[in-house]
Amino acid sequence: MIDLLVKARDRLDQIGADTKPKNTEARPHFEVRDSEQGYAKLYDPTAEKENRYGVKIDLLDLTKETLPEALPKDRSMHINENPEVGSNPNRNKQHGFHFTADNCIGCHACEAACSEKNDNPAHIAFRSVGYVEGGSYPDYKRLNISMACNHCDDPVCLKGCPTRAYTKHAEYGAVLQDSDTCFGCGYCTWVCPYNAPQLDPIKGEVSKCNMCVDRLEEGLKPACVSACLGNALDFGVIENTPESREQTKTSIPGFPDPSITQPNIRFQQTRSMPDEMSRTDSMPLKYHKEEDGTFRSVVDEKAGKDKSWNLARLSSRENPLVMFTMCTQAVIGAFLMTFLGPLLGIDAFTAVKESAVYFPMLISLIVIQAGVLVLSTLHLGKPLRFYRGFNNLRYSPLSREALGIAMFFTGLAGYTFFEILNVWLDHWFLDAVVIVLGAFATLSALIGLYFMHCIYRIEARPFWNHWQVLTSFFGTMFSVGGILLGLFVITSMAIQGEDYSVLLSILGGLVAIGLVAESIGLVSHARYLNTESGEGAAAHYIQSTTFGKTYLLRNSLIGLGVITSIAVAVIAPSGWMAMTLVVLLSLTVVAALFAGRALFYILVIPTTMPGAFFWKNKGFEQHARDIGLADMPQVGVVPDLH
Amino acid sequence: MLFGRKDRKAITIADKQVVEWKYTTCGYCSTGCSIDVGLDAEGKAVATRGTADADVNRGKLCIKGVFEHHLFDSAGRGLAPLMREKTFDPYQKTDWDSALDKTASEIKRIQKTYGRDSFAVVSTGQILTEEFYTLGKLVRGCIGTNNYDGNTTLCMASAVSGYKRSFGSDGPPGCYDDFEHTDCLIAFGSNLPEQHPIIYWRLKEALEKRKFPLIVVDPRVTMLAQFADIHLPITPGTDVVLINSLMYVILDEGLEDRDYINAHTDGIEAVEAAVKGYDPVSAAKVCGIDEDTIRTVARIYAKAGAAMSIWTMGINQSTHGSDGVVNINNLNLITGNIGKPGSTSLSITGQCNAMGTREWSSCSGLPGYRYLENQADRDKIADYWGIDESFFPEKRGLQQTDIFSAIETGEIKGLWLVATNPMTSMPNTSRIRKILEKLEFLVVQDTYGDVETNQYSHVYLPGAVWAEKEGCFTNTERRVNLVRAVVKPKGDSKTDFWIFNQMAKRFSNGEKIHFPETSSEAFQEMAELSKGEGRTLDISGMTHDKIEEARGIQWPFSEDDEGLKGNPRLYTDGHFQTKSGKANLIPVIFKDNNECPDEQYPFWMNSGRVVEHFHSRTKTGKIGNLNKFSPTPYMEMNPDAARDLGVDHQSYVRITSRRGDAVVMVQLTQRVPRNMVFIPFHFHDCVNRVSLGLLDEHSRQPAFKQCAIRIEPIDQALAGQLNAERRTF
Repeated sequence: MIDLLVKARDRLDQIGADTKPKNTEARPHFEVRDSEQGYAKLYDPTAEKENRYGVKIDLLDLTKETLPEALPKDRSMHINENPEVGSNPNRNKQHGFHFTADNCIGCHACEAACSEKNDNPAHIAFRSVGYVEGGSYPDYKRLNISMACNHCDDPVCLKGCPTRAYTKHAEYGAVLQDSDTCFGCGYCTWVCPYNAPQLDPIKGEVSKCNMCVDRLEEGLKPACVSACLGNALDFGVIENTPESREQTKTSIPGFPDPSITQPNIRFQQTRSMPDEMSRTDSMPLKYHKEEDGTFRSVVDEKAGKDKSWNLARLSSRENPLVMFTMCTQAVIGAFLMTFLGPLLGIDAFTAVKESAVYFPMLISLIVIQAGVLVLSTLHLGKPLRFYRGFNNLRYSPLSREALGIAMFFTGLAGYTFFEILNVWLDHWFLDAVVIVLGAFATLSALIGLYFMHCIYRIEARPFWNHWQVLTSFFGTMFSVGGILLGLFVITSMAIQGEDYSVLLSILGGLVAIGLVAESIGLVSHARYLNTESGEGAAAHYIQSTTFGKTYLLRNSLIGLGVITSIAVAVIAPSGWMAMTLVVLLSLTVVAALFAGRALFYILVIPTTMPGAFFWKNKGFEQHARDIGLADMPQVGVVPDLH
Repeated sequence: MLFGRKDRKAITIADKQVVEWKYTTCGYCSTGCSIDVGLDAEGKAVATRGTADADVNRGKLCIKGVFEHHLFDSAGRGLAPLMREKTFDPYQKTDWDSALDKTASEIKRIQKTYGRDSFAVVSTGQILTEEFYTLGKLVRGCIGTNNYDGNTTLCMASAVSGYKRSFGSDGPPGCYDDFEHTDCLIAFGSNLPEQHPIIYWRLKEALEKRKFPLIVVDPRVTMLAQFADIHLPITPGTDVVLINSLMYVILDEGLEDRDYINAHTDGIEAVEAAVKGYDPVSAAKVCGIDEDTIRTVARIYAKAGAAMSIWTMGINQSTHGSDGVVNINNLNLITGNIGKPGSTSLSITGQCNAMGTREWSSCSGLPGYRYLENQADRDKIADYWGIDESFFPEKRGLQQTDIFSAIETGEIKGLWLVATNPMTSMPNTSRIRKILEKLEFLVVQDTYGDVETNQYSHVYLPGAVWAEKEGCFTNTERRVNLVRAVVKPKGDSKTDFWIFNQMAKRFSNGEKIHFPETSSEAFQEMAELSKGEGRTLDISGMTHDKIEEARGIQWPFSEDDEGLKGNPRLYTDGHFQTKSGKANLIPVIFKDNNECPDEQYPFWMNSGRVVEHFHSRTKTGKIGNLNKFSPTPYMEMNPDAARDLGVDHQSYVRITSRRGDAVVMVQLTQRVPRNMVFIPFHFHDCVNRVSLGLLDEHSRQPAFKQCAIRIEPIDQALAGQLNAERRTF
């Protein structure tokens, strides 16, 4: 079965693939000149056994423990299908960058050499230089930071990628990504704390630093290192201290917590820095010196304290995800109530099954679910490659979520089909099939929803990394699910003059459960953000200033929703009062939750590296799009594509 | 996946399929890096790399060099000659003969109507030395106008003037290898990491091998200032005060090299008398550096075994530019720091071939550092070219800045601009616009059709760029290096060499003077002219092939020299190019004529370069991987000053001066003091709309870096719109 699926996938992959014959002759990976200078050559006469995290540096040794079969020493990397095996004696050791922050002059030579070698357009960079600065004239210090991929011990990109485009190689420990396999979901760009994977919205795929493994195979350091003009960047077997350097620290101001991924980069930074280092980009973050001399990220209230609405900015490129998550959760909620209600012996739900609106409702749920599935697929860089989303069930929450929701959709569609068939045939066997399919859809939905929540539990995105996501997603299932169901059933019953007060009361209760769960989550989340230093608190700062009024309104609406829904549940109203409350509740909840979900995507501040004034400055990028400057490709900002 | 996956994923790394690497020299700044340009099977330039065995850059390149092959195909290139009657007419494409005929006839008409000198030629530091030599022949020998200069007046004129005044001749006496030998280095107004990254790397390499004190004089906390052992955040325009005070301490404490002074200099008494008024207590009040620091620096410098000074535009682009250079020379002469390893006065030059134009273009005289004022020089060149000596004027004419004033007053009616863009590069843009509007005839010869000055031209001649041509550049350390033609000129653009040769045919003297067909033949003429007893500028031992083989040769390198290594230093024997053979010690008195901040205009405006751009951005503004690092104009401003004015980070302001206004985006940083802003000069319609550019009395170079401005609010939406509209590239 699996084999068959894999074959089908491979067949699909052939469509539109590059069929040009590849040069498979053995040849040098990179030209080494006789006159090559010493700085360009790798030099690691010795190596440690283990890195500071206790991970073996010899990758053949390391893999012996984890793989059923030991990897061969002289395995070709097949760079550009070249079968040649490199001459580098250390090729099976974990390598990494060494950055002497004291020396970086911010001259961009590393970035330039990288982009030249990799033929990258202006808007894509595998390596970027940003800076933090502090002090008071003339006692002013700028600390430039050049950062690419750190080829981590624990590559979260690899684990997150649903398509299995990433491989961590036993050669150099390089974490390499295959842009052909990638379908451009951008999830790796969410999970990486260092902003290493680069999503190209034009090509619809991610690419990233390849460690210049072609140069490494010939004993040359990566292009960026060889190009460095400040003698700041170096490269070699990890934990080795380069010549005339004396430190191998794991952090400098502005660098995210290394415990997330155990990045293979070491630093030297001996010059004293001011107590506070600020960022020139628009991120409301700065770095404060702790007692032990390390720097911790804290909020920088760059935009003042004024509270604004900024309602227009609620619409972002993540709109499809807002729609997808909200609608999926609502559809699941509505289905679960319809399916489980009668099974739990709640008469009011049995009445739903028997009402005229039952089948139209099921079909509507299918249509809505199909619609948002298409929407989320179109959100991909390469929508036609959507089937690759299931490649990484072993590690990726995205793969698992996708499978869960796909199974739910199948279950829902099957359930509906056999329910309709059963009206016609009315056979006990179909009754059983319907139950099984309903149970299958229920289970898939719950699994899907759980993994949907896991997608956002990313250490590099502290704003998301809280259980509030769980209460929000399942809460929405109850609240918006209840409203969705109510809209169909209550309306229909009211038109037909049936008594809906009991059902309305129950739905009111379910909506209340959802909203209370959401509220509890949000209160705890706000507390967590206020105590959490750094990116989470910065997101909260934006939430309570840039979107301050929107945020307050959202919270008030949820409060109003809680009161209204409890009132509905307790009073079990009917007539004009019921209609008024239903309309009020629906509008309130839908507005509040959609706004909240939009904020959820907009507000997140990742633990990225500091940018510069123009380059890698989100504020400038947005401005360049707003004034039309981004329409010139040499500005290096991709204009709005929609 | 994590190590052991069954389905191997392809590892695809860009392969540019280079089949041949061709040797050239970088065409941006004057560091003089050797570059290999990679060509694919179709002969298209697809890659660049630093030449590994070249002594200057040793395989390294800065960001601009890395992407230099993109110049060949960049946007805005001129692909055909253009002509029009009036500047308000649209341009029409034409053929080369028509464009050249028109230009020649207009030059002749203007000269006939208003006099020989009423047509001016302003060239550049961008084209090849052979082209400069040919242009000099054309202008001095055929057209015969005395109003002929290069845009090096905007960048290096003060260094030239200062060298001539102190040492009797132009030519930086030191080299990059001096970093390896020096015991102390002072950088005056020079920000190597941003302006000359490869020279910075050479300095860094030397410092990592053997630490020596690095002292940086700069009003802004540049990366070099930040890395310095001692940073002197000087008050703008007061360098001569600081240097006088350093000399005061040295002379007062008897730290000078009396033997060297006696043996190799003239004029110590005058200098001793002049610096008397600059004791550290008085000087500190003017230059803003406290007296203790002045004494410390003076002692470190004087006591160092070998000490050297470098400078760039911080000195040259000020009202005391030439005096500043003279004073740096004074400092080095009295401490005996000239002509020895690690001991030098080294101006760090700007353009790739600013040196070539100084040496061979005849702008300031005649080829090979010869003077119009010198009868023997006039005779020599007239004889060599085969024309009458009386065709040459007996005195140098106007310099670029004065040429523009002469257009303003109506003395000059026609102008030929070669690879220079005064609409962006000269101070006070609104004045330049008025001046250009006055011209009866303007011909612009440039690689880029979209060069802003083209708005006012009647004929446009599209020149080939960089390694579409073959010939030499001379770098900061007097190294003559070779550019091989790597690709053919784009479209119907032509090499400047060809254009000058064709133009010469249209003048009567053009038939008398021999104009060789190839640049290597022109080089041989120069080599021939460089021969002579006691000449420093001797390239007679060089040929194009030898230069390529050596990856550049430093002059003097005569035909008698063995091997391929030139001479790294001048004046090693203490003999100078003056009449007495001794260097001149010249007293320098500070005169405060700058437009200083006042109540109306409370901020100093300082300008400078950023690493990703070159000059007026016609080259770098079109290459995304350079331009993206600063795609629009911006201004560094102190956050404390901004708070008072309610100015936010990354918002727009309008800056105004007594000349005009400009719109810039604000970058708040403590890198600049409270009463100063810094603006990169590369952007059209920006810094030079407000700059003053008072002229140095000796070099006629504008003081770009000192003027006063105020900061006004501007509607943010309008400013954004203006910013976008003003960036056509």
